[in-house]
Amino acid sequence: MTLSPSPFERRLQISGVLIILGLLVEALCLAWRGPLAFLVFLGLGGLLLFAGIVVYLYSLVSIPHPRE
Amino acid sequence: MPVPVPVSFLLLLILFSVSLIALLFVRPGVTVARSGKIMAFLVLFFLPLLCAWIGVSSELERSKSTAFCLSCHIMEPYGKSLHVDDPSYLAAAHFQNHRVPADEACYTCHTNYTMFGTAASKLRGLRHVYVYYFTTPPPPEKIKLYDPFNNRECLHCHEGARSFEQGAVHNSDPDLLPAIKANKKSCLSSGCHEVVHNVGTLNNVKFWNGGT
Repeated sequence: MTLSPSPFERRLQISGVLIILGLLVEALCLAWRGPLAFLVFLGLGGLLLFAGIVVYLYSLVSIPHPRE
Repeated sequence: MPVPVPVSFLLLLILFSVSLIALLFVRPGVTVARSGKIMAFLVLFFLPLLCAWIGVSSELERSKSTAFCLSCHIMEPYGKSLHVDDPSYLAAAHFQNHRVPADEACYTCHTNYTMFGTAASKLRGLRHVYVYYFTTPPPPEKIKLYDPFNNRECLHCHEGARSFEQGAVHNSDPDLLPAIKANKKSCLSSGCHEVVHNVGTLNNVKFWNGGT
């Protein structure tokens, strides 16, 4: 699996990886169920999800889309 | 009150989202078409936000549970104090007689009944974590509240109740009830309901193991 040569698609892939990591952290914290899990969920999971979404939104406005 | 979402549903939603994102990662070219762009919006924006929102509200609800509070080792004696077989122990009497919901016993008495009380409780929880992990926490019998217990938390349930308003002791002095309601005379530290958890005395008491 490699990153796409297209800048737009590459950013989508990076965004996807960050969001997948964030969702995996969230899933682990749901299974862990300790008091620290909530902090890890918010701190690490929330940060990864936020970063992924920001990269996606940024890719929409910063790079010209490939035409349909 | 938020509707509790089963964890299994949230895990399935996460699995579904991860699968679609993985598909988008392997074939990013699908975003050239309009349907691909819509899919990208759903899986990179809408679904992660939905998962995060459901997850946060689920975790916040769970953090109100008695089991959550007692999962810290240092709180174990406080959980034990809820089973003391002596009605003069205030926390035990409330817990055993279901004056507070048994599954949210700690939160019911220790939250702030104010506009941002829930948020204040969560911030206090963060302070607990800091004290527990980054300082030397005191032994359970030496733990004190950060601030004196406010009568407001008692009055949230008891104000207006006949047993409280017409109680003989509460009306023994005409100034007493207004002073309690104004938080000028503490319910707990004025010699009336002083025995609350008293975890230092648990070696010398009997326990009641009935109920839930």
